[in-house]
Amino acid sequence: MIEAGIRQVRVALAMVFGRPVNPRLVERLIGDALATIEEFGAPGDDVEQLIDGPFADPAERRDLQTRALQRTARRLAKRSVFYRERFAAAGVDPGALTPDSLRNVPVTRKADLVARPRDFICGRPQMVTQTTGTTGAPARVWVSRYEIELWPALIALSLLLRGEARPGDCMQVNMSSRATAAVQEDVEVFRLLNAATRVVGQVPPDESLDHLLDTAGVTPTLLSGYPSYIGQMVSAARRRGLGPDDFRLRGVYLGGEVLSPALARAVRETFGADQVADTYGMTELLPVGGRTCRHHHLHLDPNMGFAEVLDLETGEPAEPGRLGTLAVTPYFPYRECMPVFRYDTRDVVRALPERLDCELAAVPAVSQVLGKANRLLDTAAGLVTPRDVAEALDELPGAEWPVRYRAEVVDGKLHVTVVAEHASPVDVTERLGARRIDAVAEVVRLGPEEARALCPLRCDLEEKTFVRGAA
Amino acid sequence: MSAGETLFLAGVDCAFALAVPLGAVLYLRRVRVPRPPVGTFNGRDIAVMMGFVLALPFLYLALPGAALPAVLGLVFAGGLTVGYQPIVARTLPRWAAILALLGADLTSRLLLGGNSPVYWLANSCVVGLIVVSATNLNVQGGMRLRNIAWFILLLGLYDLTFATVLPLTQRLADAIQGYPFAPSAGLRIGGLGAVIGMGDLLAYSLYTTAAYKAYGAAGLRTALPLVVVFGGLVPAVTPPVVGWLTGHTPSLVPAQVVFAPAAFLGYLALRRRGPERRMREYLATVTLPAPVVEPAA
Repeated sequence: MIEAGIRQVRVALAMVFGRPVNPRLVERLIGDALATIEEFGAPGDDVEQLIDGPFADPAERRDLQTRALQRTARRLAKRSVFYRERFAAAGVDPGALTPDSLRNVPVTRKADLVARPRDFICGRPQMVTQTTGTTGAPARVWVSRYEIELWPALIALSLLLRGEARPGDCMQVNMSSRATAAVQEDVEVFRLLNAATRVVGQVPPDESLDHLLDTAGVTPTLLSGYPSYIGQMVSAARRRGLGPDDFRLRGVYLGGEVLSPALARAVRETFGADQVADTYGMTELLPVGGRTCRHHHLHLDPNMGFAEVLDLETGEPAEPGRLGTLAVTPYFPYRECMPVFRYDTRDVVRALPERLDCELAAVPAVSQVLGKANRLLDTAAGLVTPRDVAEALDELPGAEWPVRYRAEVVDGKLHVTVVAEHASPVDVTERLGARRIDAVAEVVRLGPEEARALCPLRCDLEEKTFVRGAA
Repeated sequence: MSAGETLFLAGVDCAFALAVPLGAVLYLRRVRVPRPPVGTFNGRDIAVMMGFVLALPFLYLALPGAALPAVLGLVFAGGLTVGYQPIVARTLPRWAAILALLGADLTSRLLLGGNSPVYWLANSCVVGLIVVSATNLNVQGGMRLRNIAWFILLLGLYDLTFATVLPLTQRLADAIQGYPFAPSAGLRIGGLGAVIGMGDLLAYSLYTTAAYKAYGAAGLRTALPLVVVFGGLVPAVTPPVVGWLTGHTPSLVPAQVVFAPAAFLGYLALRRRGPERRMREYLATVTLPAPVVEPAA
């Protein structure tokens, strides 16, 4: 009890003053939390304060953010060739930056990271991970041993205290094997929690279902993957006549693509999972991540990094209600090896008011990601986002997930081509019309290769196996 | 020591040794104390507690006469407000009750003297309430019977050492007795006197409450007789018995020297029933009254 209290204070002080957090200390805190749950069945009072961290306090946040930004910028100016040049060119003093003056530093784009990776490195690289490349050339991000150890420990502690994972759980990981950091992180998180992992990858969906049903060893209770791939698993499960009673899943964690309410509902109904979480994460932004609340706000962890919404038209901080792209600065000491500053994700979100009325109101939020900026559809009637279209099409009768489509604007009007077996163009226009989107619809029946060419998704990063062929 | 004095001492000690642990068990059944988000008691906490036990007497003796009651008064006030916040949620009435209680202790000592039964009753009331709350902070914080049995065993060794090899116990007893907020309970009526240390009461309370939490009614049936017999009765009757046998009556028999081995054997006997219940398992067996919540300002 006394040791655990001292450890909590040490971690909190490191977070407030921006000193490197000893991963061993966090790991011992996980041990304390496991012992607490073993004794009491749940964490103690005021656990939210521990989970949300010091930055969740609106009165303190501004000051903490300013100090964290200055600390991060000073280190970058000292160690990163790219940012030393960038700060000098912009004429900014890294030690004097504030959330308001941040706009004087140009944003960092993925192209910068792809073109000059060496100039971003500030620490000792230990492992490289890369983006999936579904939105262009993949970016490689190096992480240090400190990051490899710290991030899983912080995530494990958070999952445990929130009750989202517990000892004895088994997480089935259906992410692309290219996402090495994320996969390694999951394995380490669940090791720290005395839980198991099944790293399955993006094998044929039927094989992933076999893993979910496998009672040898530890049967999966949690599942993580991309919505398009998990959508394929839902479709495969329904084809095989499997339902909620066949699985032991308690939670499904989806991210990396738009998750529609229709698909989330289908996942819940098919796998019997109580929780279907829409998470936000990006290799370039690690360890900053986001959670979606019941009001469909995306809440980004303010302790790990600074998030901005940059107006689509002006590039300045967006007013509440305006669309903008999400730019994130992960703070030192959480990101140390290959950090980014004001990284423009090109993910379009809507800025939200500071005060929200949801279960995660203490954590700042933006809207759910609406799509990539270069995929916005500028029609005569207004902007249509990829989320608008995806959510409408996922509701088509007899939809087999993932629904693939191509959307373009012709003479100011939206034209949507949907790959579907059972839906008609009228179904498509009705679904879009219900969302006040006027469109011309076409329904096509395509083979798998043609469908992929029409609309590539993360599930297309499939991994071949011998299992089905050998049968 | 006359037979009457021995009888008085044994009766008062047994009464306190019974009443305070039962109060702690009642508190456990009725009240939930707040606990930190992460943390449960373990063996290392016992080592830290033992460190305090070793250091505190020296601190008591080192403090100038007037400072000791002031320090103890502050510690008692803090302990009472933490322990009784779940019962009296509103700050003002809680502090009013605490100050009234401490005020009664202080004024009765100043006006009526250190031999006044009123002072002893007031001081015993303060000490008893503190022990009940401290016991529950520990047991509801996850302290287990195993931890407590070992702690008491170490306490017994400590008491034996400081009563025989380094005679600190008697000096400490002399130093604190009769002060306002003395860390001991007891009663003085005329020429009769009985005193039981706060540390001893805490050991009995912790043992009984943890035994009840761990093994339910069976734990209570084992712990309470051990506490009354080896914590209240035997230490009281030992000096005259030793005097009768040897011709030399010891002035003090530290209670833990007698209680610790019995308590440890009691723990070993209870352990044969199976593993101790965890707090979550205990909580599943009780229904608590609705929590007292401080109204919004």
